[in-house]
Amino acid sequence: MSAIAEREVALVDLLDRLLGGGVVIAGEITLAVADVDLVHVSLRALVSSVETARPK
Amino acid sequence: MIELLAITDDPSPLRSPLRLVPAGEVGVVVAPADEGEADAEALWRRESLLEDLMRERALLPIRYGTRVEDDAAAAAAVAPRAGELAAALERVRGAVEVSVRAVAAGDPEPGPGAPEAVHERLAAAARENALHAGPELLRAAYLVDDAEVDGFVAAVRALQHEHPELSILCTGPWPPYSFAEAPER
Repeated sequence: MSAIAEREVALVDLLDRLLGGGVVIAGEITLAVADVDLVHVSLRALVSSVETARPK
Repeated sequence: MIELLAITDDPSPLRSPLRLVPAGEVGVVVAPADEGEADAEALWRRESLLEDLMRERALLPIRYGTRVEDDAAAAAAVAPRAGELAAALERVRGAVEVSVRAVAAGDPEPGPGAPEAVHERLAAAARENALHAGPELLRAAYLVDDAEVDGFVAAVRALQHEHPELSILCTGPWPPYSFAEAPER
């Protein structure tokens, strides 16, 4: 897998954890992520990187 | 506004921009809240602060984006759960989270038992595991003892070799995002 593809996979895992993991503490939750579509974009990147990451 | 980043029970001071706010028997790691929208670079910078911290002390990450007005509000928000959070810290102490996803590699189609077989082997090498719903055949997080991480990664490699019909995507070590809250009963 290329470095870029690995970073895309890691970004999907990071976003998963940021948005769905961690202790939930009472407070104002501000989800100020620049591109709301980021998760979907990255999932598409994940799928295409898997295509190119087939064993040689 | 300040952002709440993590819970720890180590009272030693933190490096700027992080600060420690005592809250009962635990402390809250806080930082000035970023204004505006976070792009991927900003998320990675935030993540690397937490990863540096997790190398030196046990911590529970706090859900991304949690903000309060000031230190007093941070202490007030955390103190009522301090006992429960101290117990949760014991659960993750000395371990890290590893993420594993499995998707079909293409041809041949994976058999119905393949993702389960992967999960079963990895779960046996982990302290705890959490299965998540997702579009993949397997989306899971494993809580792995620090000393067992190399062995866990070797197990992932061996499983990839045994299951060429799957692409196994493994990332980490992460702070224990998926093990910060007690499992639902």
